[in-house]
Amino acid sequence: MTNDQNHIQDEYFHDENLDKKLMDHDYDGIKELDNPAPAWIMAIFYITIFFSVMYGAYYFWFSQGPTQDQEYLAEVNEYNTKFGQKENNAPEALTILTNEADIAEGMAFYQANCVACHGANGEGGVGSNLTDANWIHGCDIASVAKIVKDGGPNGMMSYKQHGDKKIQQVASYVLTKLKGTNKPGKELQGEACQ
Amino acid sequence: MELQKYYYDNKIVKCFILATIIWGVVGVLVGLIAALQLAWPMFNFDTEFLTFGRVRPVHTNAIIFAFVGNAIFAGVYYSMQKLLKTRMFSDVLSKINFWGWQLIIVAAAVTLLSGISTGKEYAELEWWIDIMIAVVWVVFGWNMIGTMIVRREKHIYAAIWWYVATFIGVAVLHVVNSFELPVTFLKSYSLYAGAQDAVVQWWYGHNAVAFFLTTPFLGLMYYYLPKAAGRPIYSYKLSIIHFWALIFIYMWAGPHHLLYQALPDWAQALGVTFSIMLLAPSWGGMINGLLTLRGAWDRVRDSATLKFMVVAVTAYGMSTFEGPMMSLKNVNMISHFSDWTIAHVHIGGMGWNGGLTFGMLYFMIPRLWKTKLFSEKLANTHFWLATLGMLIYAIPLYWAAITQWLMWREYSPEGYLAYPNFLSTVTQILPMYMFRSLGGLLFLIGFLLMVYNLYKTMAAGTFTNEEEAQAPVLDNSQSRKDARETQHRWIERKPVWFSIAAFIALAIGGAVEIIPMVFVKSNVPTISTVTPYTPLELEGRDIYVSEGCYTCHSQMVRPFRWETDRYGEYSKIGEFVYDHPFQWGSRRTGPDLARTGVVGGPMYKNAAWHYKHFENAQSVSDGTIMPNYPWFAEQTVNTEVTPAKIRAMQTLGVPYPEGYDTKAVADLMAQGQTIADELKQNNIDVVPNAKVVAVIAYLHKLGRDISKKE
Repeated sequence: MTNDQNHIQDEYFHDENLDKKLMDHDYDGIKELDNPAPAWIMAIFYITIFFSVMYGAYYFWFSQGPTQDQEYLAEVNEYNTKFGQKENNAPEALTILTNEADIAEGMAFYQANCVACHGANGEGGVGSNLTDANWIHGCDIASVAKIVKDGGPNGMMSYKQHGDKKIQQVASYVLTKLKGTNKPGKELQGEACQ
Repeated sequence: MELQKYYYDNKIVKCFILATIIWGVVGVLVGLIAALQLAWPMFNFDTEFLTFGRVRPVHTNAIIFAFVGNAIFAGVYYSMQKLLKTRMFSDVLSKINFWGWQLIIVAAAVTLLSGISTGKEYAELEWWIDIMIAVVWVVFGWNMIGTMIVRREKHIYAAIWWYVATFIGVAVLHVVNSFELPVTFLKSYSLYAGAQDAVVQWWYGHNAVAFFLTTPFLGLMYYYLPKAAGRPIYSYKLSIIHFWALIFIYMWAGPHHLLYQALPDWAQALGVTFSIMLLAPSWGGMINGLLTLRGAWDRVRDSATLKFMVVAVTAYGMSTFEGPMMSLKNVNMISHFSDWTIAHVHIGGMGWNGGLTFGMLYFMIPRLWKTKLFSEKLANTHFWLATLGMLIYAIPLYWAAITQWLMWREYSPEGYLAYPNFLSTVTQILPMYMFRSLGGLLFLIGFLLMVYNLYKTMAAGTFTNEEEAQAPVLDNSQSRKDARETQHRWIERKPVWFSIAAFIALAIGGAVEIIPMVFVKSNVPTISTVTPYTPLELEGRDIYVSEGCYTCHSQMVRPFRWETDRYGEYSKIGEFVYDHPFQWGSRRTGPDLARTGVVGGPMYKNAAWHYKHFENAQSVSDGTIMPNYPWFAEQTVNTEVTPAKIRAMQTLGVPYPEGYDTKAVADLMAQGQTIADELKQNNIDVVPNAKVVAVIAYLHKLGRDISKKE
């Protein structure tokens, strides 16, 4: 051991009251006390073991708890009870909405979701041209609403989750404001449609 | 008794200390860049080498293996010699340990940034680096066990129990998880597939946290905290109980990373229950640490070392309470795939590992350089910056996690998802990402203050490479247990028996979970419509893996109505049987991609959309934080390796027809041509073997098979 003046000497601070149970252990100046593990931590340990045994019993030995597949089915049933089936708004029964508020909503939806593929003015791009006379999946309100709702094999994605009302609004917007404006863009696709 | 003279090897400690400091700065800096990338995508710099998918693994690997790894070695080499009253067993092994580890770190950084990755979280390094890690790690263990054998102290102190468990635990985990079949020098496939790979990977992933971030640091705490406080360990008995309980139970807890996923219910239940039982053994360490400070709290106020240690132990207590809670299925439903986990690991990383490392450095360096710390005041500033940085990092992320989860699952009154656009749930939490970057910046500034402080300390002191010491010869002649000796006291003087006992305690949990998953067929029910990847899809998948897409995108739809409405049918075990490695992911910064191949589904996008999205994501999704990948269109797939990849897959049991490797490239080009033709209709010119074509083919495969009727 060098006797450099600046050398830090590690001190052991003895405390009469706290160190009554000092053991004869000494590792590089580290001592140990013979205290038991605190009762509360041992209690937590035993409670968690008990919990785990009960958990296993509940799900596996007595098969009381649901499997995750059963849990999902229960969740779907609960959903169906709360909201009913979503298919009641049959596309065949749809009409083109014409009032300004609906068209404005439809336009907002178009701006948020459709422009990336169909262009800002419906001229097309990744998606088809919505302003010309040819339509791939039909040009009546029911057909347009259906393709928006369910998507299609050319890459049209499904917008089912946005709800039937929004879908009807955007289909109405496309058919009243974009169709027939004949913007130069994507070439003709599909069949001529009035 | 006769005193023997010997010399402590201080030089090796100094080497590891310097490496800890240097890699620490690098790791935190890279973390800050990753945080900025999430808040502002321009920090991806539009270069392939710095996209988030590559930077994030560099951050995690640099922090865990470079910063924390070197800190472990520094702390162990310093304390072990003193606790065993001897020099390290072999200078040569020490040097191999040091230089080998630094070489691994450099190789890791270079390969990860070059997009060479196995795609398994915290085990991204390729096969030859894995071999280097195994070799260097065994060298470390050999040196450690050798040192115990040549010791002059009769009993082995608690700190060293933890070091031994660390060595054995990491060795077992690393070797089992790294079984992979090399295809080329830079590419290998995991031996395990799908759900099996997931079980092995998260057994590893969770226990990397245990045996690389927890057990070694508990060992370090058992040495440095009582040394710095000058107080005795509160309870020797508690040391024993929580040591054995912790190392036994930890190994079972891995499946808590896979709750509500494509894993048998029994395996998930083991993950839940063993995580709950981990609470008390983990807290044993915190309690023994904090109660050791009884009678020393007045000194905590004046010492940055002790303050850092108190924060470390407290952060450890918080994380190890939070961890079991997050393992409950109803909590995990929220925390998994959200930022909760990110916040959780940073409390552990910045608080526990960071705090204890800082405390340890402030303790060791003045002693090694035989001088006082340059500035206690600066160390105090560092303490406050680090603590504040940690909080400003973590709190916004907890907030973000809850916000985003609530948005994901909210339904409109009509029964539709209230936020059907995934992106709107991301842009909502971007302000939180900005705050978290600020937290990271404060932490980095504190770190740099420490570097300056320690540099000035070193410059003022004198370092002795060989420190002389004396101790009596060890008389350990009595091999059998003495009547007055407890069983544990006996094994404390039998390091080899001790190591064997620790190995047995460690091995049981992993074996019970992994062996049935790999060998019992009923655990992986097959689905007849699921077919192997075509060569083009396989190449696309390899690009997905190498770019680290899994760092932001999951491929795992959980069985919740709000997930199936958003993505499509929930994921089944049998879907993943050809996935070497699995790519379920752990955080959904972007949407889940498991159903991108289901035509007409909510996740399907056509080839032209994907092309434009890779070219410039912002032009297709306004406000997205997805990095751009314009080079996907310019670079081509290396079809020279494709036949070898097919053969490797055949070796792993993927049922390609015999001799298919010779036809693979022709099939790849033909499939690529159909996609190129489709893109051509949108005025996009691209060669059929462009990377972008392969990735599109892969994305159009995901979920396609399961949507077919059986």
